[in-house]
Amino acid sequence: MFQMKWVWHNLAGYKRRYIMALSFVVISSVLVFIRPMLTQTVVDQVLVGIPMADGTVFRNYDILIPLLLGMVGIHLFRMCMLNAGVYNCDYASQGMLINMREHLYDRIQTQDRTYYDRNRTGDLMTRLTGDLDTVRNAVSFVFREFTIDIFLFLTTAVYFFTINALFTLAVLAVTPLLLVLSKIFSKRVRSKYIFLREKLSEMNTKAQEDISGNRVIKAFAREKYEIEEFAKKNNAYRKANIDAQFTWLRYFPAVHVLANTLTITILLVGGIFIINGWLTAGELAAFAALDWAISEPMRNIGLLLNDLQRFFASADKVIEMYYQHPRIVDSPEAVELPGRMRGKVEFKDVSFKFDGKTVFSGISFVVNPGETVAIMGSTGSGKTSLVNLIERFYDVSSGAVYVDDIDVRKLKLSSLRGGIGMATQDVFLFSETVDGNIAYGDPEMDEAEVRRFAKITASDFIDDMEDGFETIVGERGVGLSGGQKQRIALARALAVRPAILILDDTTSAVDMETEKYIQKQLKELDFSCTKFIIAQRISSVKDADKIIILDGGKIVESGTHQELLGRDGYYREIYELQHGTGKAGERSGAE
Amino acid sequence: MEQERQVSAVARNKFDIDESLESPFNIQHLKRSLVYVKKYKGKMILALVFSLFSVIAALFGPLIIQEALDVAVANGDIPYLLLLVGLLALSIGVSILLNVLRSRITAVVGQNIIYDIRQDLFEHLQQLPFSYYDNRPHGKILVRVVQYVNNVSDMLSNGIINFFLEIFNLIFVTVFMFILDSRLALVILAGLPVLVLIVLLIMPVQRRAWQNFSNKNSNMNAYLHESILGAGVTQIFTRERVNAEIAYTQFHNCRKSFLHAVFVSNWVWFSVEMISVIVGAAVYGAGILLIKPMATFGTIIAMGDYSWRFWRPITNLANLYNNLINTVAYLERIFETIDEPVDIQDAPDAKPLPPIRGEVEFKDVVFEYDQGHPILNHMNFKVKAGESIALVGPTGAGKTTVINLISRFYDISSGKVLIDENDISKATLHSLRSQMGVMLQDSFVFSGNIIDNIRYGKLDATYEEVVAAAKTVKAHEFIETMEKGYQTEVNERGSRLSQGQKQLISFARTLIADPKILILDEATSSIDTKTERLMQEGLNELMKGRTSFIIAHRLSTIQHCDRIMYIDGGIIQESGTHEELLRRKGKYYELYMSQKEDAAV
Repeated sequence: MFQMKWVWHNLAGYKRRYIMALSFVVISSVLVFIRPMLTQTVVDQVLVGIPMADGTVFRNYDILIPLLLGMVGIHLFRMCMLNAGVYNCDYASQGMLINMREHLYDRIQTQDRTYYDRNRTGDLMTRLTGDLDTVRNAVSFVFREFTIDIFLFLTTAVYFFTINALFTLAVLAVTPLLLVLSKIFSKRVRSKYIFLREKLSEMNTKAQEDISGNRVIKAFAREKYEIEEFAKKNNAYRKANIDAQFTWLRYFPAVHVLANTLTITILLVGGIFIINGWLTAGELAAFAALDWAISEPMRNIGLLLNDLQRFFASADKVIEMYYQHPRIVDSPEAVELPGRMRGKVEFKDVSFKFDGKTVFSGISFVVNPGETVAIMGSTGSGKTSLVNLIERFYDVSSGAVYVDDIDVRKLKLSSLRGGIGMATQDVFLFSETVDGNIAYGDPEMDEAEVRRFAKITASDFIDDMEDGFETIVGERGVGLSGGQKQRIALARALAVRPAILILDDTTSAVDMETEKYIQKQLKELDFSCTKFIIAQRISSVKDADKIIILDGGKIVESGTHQELLGRDGYYREIYELQHGTGKAGERSGAE
Repeated sequence: MEQERQVSAVARNKFDIDESLESPFNIQHLKRSLVYVKKYKGKMILALVFSLFSVIAALFGPLIIQEALDVAVANGDIPYLLLLVGLLALSIGVSILLNVLRSRITAVVGQNIIYDIRQDLFEHLQQLPFSYYDNRPHGKILVRVVQYVNNVSDMLSNGIINFFLEIFNLIFVTVFMFILDSRLALVILAGLPVLVLIVLLIMPVQRRAWQNFSNKNSNMNAYLHESILGAGVTQIFTRERVNAEIAYTQFHNCRKSFLHAVFVSNWVWFSVEMISVIVGAAVYGAGILLIKPMATFGTIIAMGDYSWRFWRPITNLANLYNNLINTVAYLERIFETIDEPVDIQDAPDAKPLPPIRGEVEFKDVVFEYDQGHPILNHMNFKVKAGESIALVGPTGAGKTTVINLISRFYDISSGKVLIDENDISKATLHSLRSQMGVMLQDSFVFSGNIIDNIRYGKLDATYEEVVAAAKTVKAHEFIETMEKGYQTEVNERGSRLSQGQKQLISFARTLIADPKILILDEATSSIDTKTERLMQEGLNELMKGRTSFIIAHRLSTIQHCDRIMYIDGGIIQESGTHEELLRRKGKYYELYMSQKEDAAV
């Protein structure tokens, strides 16, 4: 029942309101008994009248209006209670939802990269939408109905006992059977709901990816294939849904038969009791009148258990996400940097493993504030991993990374990352205005500043757009070309005035002329900035103070453009390939 | 490539902008959803019949009980009592059985209906152009496909049957009431106009409230979706706090709009309940005090009972109505998406394109996104089958546009694009695109293993074919070193693959499709020069006999092409081989020299 505890915990701030709301609905449901009583009085005293000693019948017309008004009044009161109860159940459940969402949102934002490697966006979305809604529904509806049913059942049972204990026992004899049945049913249906929400998640994932990957689908003319694939997921979900409902329907007759045995026992046993004189007709009438108040809760229980199991299946998934703690967090003794980061970076004998495989080992180098370091190497040689260690998106396997002479693991993440600006390979822009995207790291930034950074990165093409800086770009920036996205991403990174700027292949899709312009601008920044540049083009790296070549998990070359050209190594080879000189150049010239 | 994408921002949507929907309450949405129900008409009628009989079977209960108490018990006749109890059990049993049958039908029908709607929605989404996806947060599309569709299932199956049941019920009761005492029946009916008035008053508010909630919910989902996708960027910029505040605001808006909608909706059943009790009281009052001669004892009791029986279906209908209003808010959105115009589709007389030889011709092609802003300005060129063409030029010149037009990702404003002398606007999209191999700047990787990602280009490719393709693009080596080789699981944003590796995989995917025309748009920008060069050999082999279009900023990548076209200002400025263009000392020469000088520092 951890799920219940978790729900209760998240009702923080709304617990009292929730309890109050439940009491309201309970009161209103118990008040149901009053209306028939008043009707009875009207019938007895006004309609039928009271036989007088003198043989006449006294019809008490005077109480008619007050009684009828009372009937309306009590009903009004009851409805108000119910309305308030229902509304406040919703209110409390919405409050709980917010508590959960806020916590889950924090989880989303602070998870490690590895978490996102393992989990599909569609699945996470399922948890945040469908699953959470099931949990909310449980609190606002299922638990409420449970409470009403239990109260109705208990009060009626107690009332029955006061009338005739023996008869009550006979009537309620079937309840244990119902409990056993419920237990078996719950167990059976649980797995169905776990399966069902798995299918929902799969369908959600498929839809999500096909929306994100719509360009690839079109490029390969795979629409039909995707439609068929989606149909499979859609169908699996449909079947799981039907299966879950059929499971319930298999138990439905048994539950309803048991609930209805009440009606039958009242009649059969009641009849026999009366015939034997163990029960009066009036007493039986009382039982018969409230028959529903006992059998209705029993009938409902099956449906509610069904919903309850659905709740458990979903809650488990949300809870999993809720308690998933990121591994990379501030250590207890983490410190803030005093003032602005200077921008010194040092790798000391760093090794890094990913997925159990060594990406690189024994990496050592020092970069002084303001220097520019370029990193080159073959595809998959670990360039990106290396710069990710500076931001501490991963922790080193051994050795240490220092920023301003402090081990990054001993720095507060916000302080570390706040000093670093990064533009990644895979440009992700938010569906926001261009202005909002550039000012992402500093939402307070005024428009003039945004424009200035746009100019530095040659992003002023934005001005030519119809809405200028107010143009909304799509998610992944798909309304823009690759080069445009990269330039905006670069402006975004610069706009935080970082002490360390990491450009991970950020200008690969930018044409050479523009790149040259950007490089020139980067040299003239009005703040000190250590730069890391990962690039494939010689033109992007040649001006660096130091060029590092990564290969086979080691630094194989390191030095300036001139120094490396002097050596017959990787760098020189790349240079020749790109500039059509030497061996490689002959080959391309011949073609 | 730059200006060409300036899609008008007017239609764009972001997470915190409500999607406006102006149409007033429209019964059309409901009618339209009935089309989906119609498919299961037979089953629905069967379910309705089962329900009716189930209700009738249940009606016997009170009669039997009355008989048992008044006759059997009164006379102490135990055998008769047993018989009646048996009958009661039978009627209950039949009722339950029929109920189960009905529920089994509606369960299947309900799920089938939402399956159909969802499938239609998804199929339509597959036809929608890029611009649809570019213009709104993806989370908003997703929520329609999954959540919204789920929300309409109950209304379209059980809701409809219950609606008919309650209507039958109502007619039945009304008839009996009038037979018994038309004056008191009128008293009971008098509540109806009041109810109608109240509902009419509440309805517009209620509808707006649910629409508003669906908007806020959609906004919130869009933001959550983006937050998941952009979590990496958020961490880079340590913007967690700012984002959290935005998210919290979304959550609160969602709550507020939900509670408002619930608050408004609750008044519907509240009113029904109140009217029903007032009417019930009025029956006694009127029956006893007003009507002369006074109604008989039996009549008043029976009418009191009928009043309750009359208003109960109305209470149920009111709840149905509440669900309906809620459902319509979702249906509107679903149908809105299904109605989204498909800009680019097969012409009515479209024919499949025969196997492509590879001749491509642009005849006087004009292309503009916005009226009066041509990206391509009367462009003309002809490419022979098997030629390799490089497109160069400054950013914003229109290079990507040219290749997008060849695959007909956009329709041209005037002129003609011909492949093997066939106008592509008259060919079926599938026959055209399935013969093209387009490698986009964005290398998208589906979640799944590597082998399936490569196979996307050719679904029935054997393992050997996949490996061969991977070897050609030099992806085989790194894939082999991964823990599970080709079976390694990767996903959209996963960090298991570097950008360069993703490009290699999408390259292999393009090659395995064995396209007749190969289009590479900055396809190798993140791949290191050495790997690229190694790939080149395999590629040259592949490009033999295929027409190819290549866009690249590194001129070393394209020097060997048969022809280089320098594009600027929406037209072709220069065209020729690398050597020819250098000799001409024009714009290409300038570009080449600037790159060369640059490197020679």
